Amino acid sequence: MSPQTDDVALSTTAERKVVVQSAGAQPDKDWVIVTRGLKREYDMGGEIVRALQGVDLAIRKNEYVAIMGPSGSGKSTLMNLIGCLDTPNGGEYWLSGQLVSTMKDDELARVRNKEIGFVFQTFNLLPRATALHNVELPLVYAGVGSAERKERAMEALTKVQLGDRAMHRPNELSGGQRQRVAIARALVNRPAILLADEPTGNLDSTTSEEIMRVFETLANTGQTVIMVTHEPDIAAHARRVVVLRDGKIASDERNQKVTSSLGL
Amino acid sequence: MRLTDLLSVAFGEIRANKLRSFFTLLGIIVSVAFLVAVVAVIQGMNAYVKENIAGAVVGTNAFQVRRAPIQVGFFDDEAMKRVERRPRISVADAAAVRLAIPDAQAIALTTGFPTPLSDIVWRNREVGDIRVFGVTPPYQEVQDYRFEAGGPLTETDIAQRRSVVVLGHEVAEKLFEGVSAIGQDVRLGSEHFEVIGVVAPKGKVLGQSFDSFALIPFTRYEMLYGRRRTTTISVKMRDAKEVENAMLRAEEAMRAAHHLRPGQENNFSLETAAALVDFWKQLTAVLFSVIPAVVAIGIVVGGIVIMNIMLMSVSERTREIGIRKAVGSRSRDIERQFLAEAIVLATTGGVLGVLSGWGFAELVAAVSPLPARITGWSVLVAVTLGATVGVLFGVYPARRAARLDPITALRAE
Repeated sequence: MSPQTDDVALSTTAERKVVVQSAGAQPDKDWVIVTRGLKREYDMGGEIVRALQGVDLAIRKNEYVAIMGPSGSGKSTLMNLIGCLDTPNGGEYWLSGQLVSTMKDDELARVRNKEIGFVFQTFNLLPRATALHNVELPLVYAGVGSAERKERAMEALTKVQLGDRAMHRPNELSGGQRQRVAIARALVNRPAILLADEPTGNLDSTTSEEIMRVFETLANTGQTVIMVTHEPDIAAHARRVVVLRDGKIASDERNQKVTSSLGL
Repeated sequence: MRLTDLLSVAFGEIRANKLRSFFTLLGIIVSVAFLVAVVAVIQGMNAYVKENIAGAVVGTNAFQVRRAPIQVGFFDDEAMKRVERRPRISVADAAAVRLAIPDAQAIALTTGFPTPLSDIVWRNREVGDIRVFGVTPPYQEVQDYRFEAGGPLTETDIAQRRSVVVLGHEVAEKLFEGVSAIGQDVRLGSEHFEVIGVVAPKGKVLGQSFDSFALIPFTRYEMLYGRRRTTTISVKMRDAKEVENAMLRAEEAMRAAHHLRPGQENNFSLETAAALVDFWKQLTAVLFSVIPAVVAIGIVVGGIVIMNIMLMSVSERTREIGIRKAVGSRSRDIERQFLAEAIVLATTGGVLGVLSGWGFAELVAAVSPLPARITGWSVLVAVTLGATVGVLFGVYPARRAARLDPITALRAE
């Protein structure tokens, strides 16, 4: 029952070092995310801003990782790169064994559709669509037929205990419920990673706990979860914490005191 | 993304913004409705002229020998003066034509338009402004008149210049109201006439009744009104195929009768019902050449409105575009979605335009004598036009939507 028992899911520093250093090599399938010397620079009106200055990061399947750092540390940039919403200026990024860093727009769209489930701070649901339709959306772009789409979306909603709210629109749902709809949408296409950006930023502490419980349950059932946050309380739920500072990884350690929301 | 999904999103958006969509489409709706309605009315009138007026004025399988051509409207002053100098059509001319075309079914001399109007009085009753024609008996054959009471004017009536009259259905009905008209004594102006026949109804064309006339013997007419400049010879053949040849013979006979030398221009005109239809078509051709220009302006303005609203919609829905991109839509999918929306919108406008144009044409047909005929091609053109406008003016907003950067789009308010 104790989350500490499934240590198999946690990679060791040594293992990660090996994977990260063999530049150009396709990592083993077990490594969901591998970045090697990842760089991202922005041209802000002639001034070059180095948001990421060579990030080496390896995340194994089934890990529950929090990425932390003060504002301006580059965590949003890293999250955009991991989420394939942006492309790096240098370095490699492998996602589920595919070299994503050199992909074109259309391929990136496909990767976002199949491999990544986003959960945003502001939920980002389509306001006029029902919960069910919101959850269906990734399947629409995956080309799944209407009947199967409804079935799978309903299944995902049931998983986050919102089966009875399927026909409600976002404005008829509470903040916590909206975020759970977003989680259902993120999971519906069975992605390799669940990528959450400040998922509790717009929620009160009770509701935050509720969402953390959902994440923990997902992690316990084998879902790889990556969560970007600046709140230590929230990061404490993850089993591994990566801290960024000035566009580099300052620390990447196992969380010795995992907070569990599952009442243990 | 599947087509059905594209369409369902497009229809969903339009339904969610009903009023806005309607105003967006107003330009397209009005232009298309105008196109459909005007074409319907013109086509209806063309068909009507061809089927009713031409036959009623000239007669079927018939042609006329006239002093002035039918296309009076398009004359310049010079040509008009030349027509003015032409001699009148005479009884002798009619005799010459009769000699030249012995196989004609009927050759008549008649006074043409404009013709004097007269009040007709019976006892204390009166109908006003009835057109009075002086005709020879064959005219009644040229016009295919059938008699609902009594009989036609006869050669004896002509020879003896008798004061007898044949009335149109409408005149008899108004004057006698059920009393038998035959043998009644009526007054045309100050002259007394005996009614010898009533012609069965021919109907109305463009609000003009063809049953409101009085026919009197040609000779009697000339005594009353003098010799008219509009006197016309009507020739009816048994078969349409004979008309052309008969016209040539009539032309020859007329040239001889008017002592024209070879090379000298005809000082008379030969006209068929086809000429009347052609004249009418010349008139409507002007309209047909103006319509596309008017419609084009309306459509372009309508298209620009659609483009504007689509651009507005793109910036309003930036966040939505970001969400869609984040969950895996390609730029192409976004482009298609907005393009589908523009096309569905514009085509809806086209369809609504066709419906309101149709409705308008039917309304015109109902409240006015103008008939209306909806033609398949105008509907097709209208709907195609709508879809084309959707594509043309939808591409730019759709491209802009597709090019949005997902990160920026997701952050938009």
